[in-house]
Amino acid sequence: MTIDHILTLLLVVPAIGLLPLYVFRNDPRSVKQVAVVTTLFELVLSLVMLAQFHAGEAGFQLVEEAAWLPSLGIRYLVGVDGISVLLVPMTTLLTFVSVLYSSGGAIKERLASFMAAFLILEIGMVGVFVSLDLFLFYVMFELMLVPMYLIIGIWGGPRRIYSTLKFVIFTLAGSLLMLVGIVAVWLVSGDEGSRTLSLPELLATRGRFSAEFQFWVFLAFGLAFAIKLPMVPFHTWLPDAHVEAPTAGSIILAGVLLKAGGYGFLRFALPLFPIGTQLWLPVIIVLSVVAILYGAGVSTVQKDLKKLVAYSSVAHMGFVTLGIFVLNAQGAVGAVLQMLNHGFVTGALFLFVGIQYERTHRRLIADLGGLANRWPLYTTFFGIFVLASLGLPGLNGFVGEFLVLLGTFKFSGVPLGGLFWGPLAAIGVILAAVYLLWMFQRVMYGPVREAYRALPDLSPIEVVCAVPLVIMTVALGVFPQPAIAIIEPSLQQVLRLATDPGYQLAAR
Amino acid sequence: MTSFVDTLVPILPEVIVTLTACVVLIADGVLPRSQTRLVLPAVTVGGLALAFLGGPLAPPPGQYFGGYVQIDTFTTFFRAVFLLLAAFATLVAPSYLDRRGVPAGEYYATICFSTVGAMTIALSTDLITLFVGLELMTIPIYVLAGMQRRDRFANEAALKYFLLGAFSSALLVYGFAWLYGITGSTRYIDVATELQRIGLANGPTIVALALVTVGLGFKAAVVPFHQWTPDAYDGAPTPATAFMSVGPKAAAFAAILRILVTGLAPLAVDWSTVFAILAAVTMTGGNIVALVQANTKRMLAYSSIAHTGYILAAVAASSAGPSATAGVLFYVFAYGLMNLGAFACLLYFDTVGSRGATLEELNGFARREPIGALAFFVFLLSLTGIPFTAGFVAKVLVIVPVLDAGLAWLAVFIALNAVLAAFYYLRVVVHMYMYDPETGAPMVPNTRLLSTALGISALATVVLGVVPNSLYEWALQAANAVSLATR
Repeated sequence: MTIDHILTLLLVVPAIGLLPLYVFRNDPRSVKQVAVVTTLFELVLSLVMLAQFHAGEAGFQLVEEAAWLPSLGIRYLVGVDGISVLLVPMTTLLTFVSVLYSSGGAIKERLASFMAAFLILEIGMVGVFVSLDLFLFYVMFELMLVPMYLIIGIWGGPRRIYSTLKFVIFTLAGSLLMLVGIVAVWLVSGDEGSRTLSLPELLATRGRFSAEFQFWVFLAFGLAFAIKLPMVPFHTWLPDAHVEAPTAGSIILAGVLLKAGGYGFLRFALPLFPIGTQLWLPVIIVLSVVAILYGAGVSTVQKDLKKLVAYSSVAHMGFVTLGIFVLNAQGAVGAVLQMLNHGFVTGALFLFVGIQYERTHRRLIADLGGLANRWPLYTTFFGIFVLASLGLPGLNGFVGEFLVLLGTFKFSGVPLGGLFWGPLAAIGVILAAVYLLWMFQRVMYGPVREAYRALPDLSPIEVVCAVPLVIMTVALGVFPQPAIAIIEPSLQQVLRLATDPGYQLAAR
Repeated sequence: MTSFVDTLVPILPEVIVTLTACVVLIADGVLPRSQTRLVLPAVTVGGLALAFLGGPLAPPPGQYFGGYVQIDTFTTFFRAVFLLLAAFATLVAPSYLDRRGVPAGEYYATICFSTVGAMTIALSTDLITLFVGLELMTIPIYVLAGMQRRDRFANEAALKYFLLGAFSSALLVYGFAWLYGITGSTRYIDVATELQRIGLANGPTIVALALVTVGLGFKAAVVPFHQWTPDAYDGAPTPATAFMSVGPKAAAFAAILRILVTGLAPLAVDWSTVFAILAAVTMTGGNIVALVQANTKRMLAYSSIAHTGYILAAVAASSAGPSATAGVLFYVFAYGLMNLGAFACLLYFDTVGSRGATLEELNGFARREPIGALAFFVFLLSLTGIPFTAGFVAKVLVIVPVLDAGLAWLAVFIALNAVLAAFYYLRVVVHMYMYDPETGAPMVPNTRLLSTALGISALATVVLGVVPNSLYEWALQAANAVSLATR
């Protein structure tokens, strides 16, 4: 089966869902049905899209194009390649899981608005991964911001206002500077009348970007992505936002929104600004390793379960940037796999922390304990995700981190060499085992508290939410080859562009 | 020989608006009180629409009225802006005027007269036409600001606006006198030719330019000539504030463009550094003070100063060519829509004795008035510069010429200022959407017309953000027209 305009359809379906949502806004049952059906349909559609994708080809596929702002040469241009094609189904799956979980009773107030925010958020997220025009990408990048601002601010915890404003201000600070960078790229891209922001055309004219220009514009783009990702030292919004966000918000925030940063580096910053990449690479590698160690170290001492998972995200994202910027195939493939894995696993961890919180109303590790005796299903699932997160071989977390470390060891284009930074980053993997297992032990084992004895195990809806995530976790861990076969050709092309000998530092 | 009627055809829209004002005044006197409430705004909006439709009847681009009137796309663009703003300001007003006992007929007529003045500025080819237009626009606004005679704050607003307005007009006209003295003409083109010959580097020219800049700076509320703005905006009746925060500002920029791009074109490059610095100071100053305001009306007043800064940045980038002027025009259009809308949203909170709304009064607004809150949300997003709103496209179209002119530092200033602004704009959203309603907080009844007007303009803000191309093309044509007038 082939569907034409499938990428556009993916962007339109959530918007169509808004209409019945508005019509039935006062009937919670219908609202839930509409939201679940819309996101499920979107998920199926994204799988059809994946089936239509020809693995093994490097270029963009399923490309669609239309005039949008012709007087500025700005177009509606969408397409997918090996890097983005897997991130789209990941997004739609996590959105479906979030919406399904939220319809199980986690959200009690203003349900229709909540679901509407999620559908708009989904447009933005899918849009970020399929945009091939920088202007469209920027617009989608910001479209993710507003719904998440509302999701945290309206349905969040006690300190939600502070957290959501911090989240928005941080993100906006980065993205508005990127906007200046985008306009600068547009101005340099051609002479008056032939200027463009379409990625394929920019790649053809990138010779016009001087070294000094690349230095500054890479900084502008890099700040936006570094804040989104987040890289140390721009990560301070993340723990606050995660702690206060409702469970579904945390799933999406960790699972998808952070990926937009890593994806932005790979899709735009690296191939467009090879010299900028060379110039900033040492800084980013050092910051990545710092993030891995710092995130792991801070996770170890967290008392709050959600904060622990949040800081572990900082460490995991450190592997993503490290893998991207060592500029070799192992590292980059590892980075993309790590993005996918982190999406499924950390999304799942936030889901389970949320499920637990909804029952016990406690998030402090010290207040919990002994849950394993009462909740066998919960313990099994949660255990799998914890093990995946710490990088147990056979589960997906291992594959990504292993490849990133391998790539780092091989890399020599950084002061002190990859043989210094690689082992340092490996310490982060050990620390991950420490803080995750220690957490698991304190939360799940030991004597059970009287208050928790009567609490029920997973509900059917929660099991339905968890099962696809477990499947992905195991499948990508045992059998990563099909995914790698999809990702690698496109990544090789990006790396060729980023390490093009014509654009080396010596060319300055 | 052309008859008198023929000479009037090119300025048909202006004539229609003038007549509308007169009809409104007569109707106000003739009709019984019970009927005026609906008839007057209907007549006003009808007249404004007629004027808008009358535009295309005008003859082809060229100079008319003895060479004192320039009809081109620039004129048409600004006519549309002013007519739209006037219609919007009319539609949101009726229930407020009722409640506050403001004489409705006078309100609508004053808006129309002021609009005629603003339109006159846009079609001027001559310093004298410009000055007449400027005064015709401003004097009705002094009246508007003080229309609530018994309100202390309205009195303060009117007096401050009047004193500083008179002062700035005096500076401006003095500057015009110097220009006339130097060049021997009041026509932009002759002024330009003569200045080109003389050059900037002489005492009298610098004095003249400084006076003109300061005078127009007052009118557009450029820091440090902005001190009148917050009090005047804050004290005036809210619908009047909504209009005066956009109409005169748009007109001031029409004047700046006409003078700068046409009259002072030869000096534009030398002058642009001054504008760039003023722009940076204005946006930063406005934003920083807006940040600490607890009253939404005052906050919007300061934020409108910041927007002056953004527009001025595009003026400073005039060396980038027509795209700079087009950026100014698009921004002015978008700003008019969103800022008028944002001020008008405060009308929901206008209970007796209040001026605007404190942030606490906004708590839970989204639950009490979903449409109004959503419209306010859209306007605030647009003012912040979030995509899918007109305000975002406007910001992009300002950053484009600024970077093109090599003012990268100013572009970064704009971006950072937008972040500052996001903080206080989104704080309003926080109060509307994320706090529960205060029990028993008073609400204004009878808001159907207001909600409709706001809903439509919020929709327009989004539509312009999604498909901005036609408006930008139009702005670009207008920009080309105004730079053509140089030759």
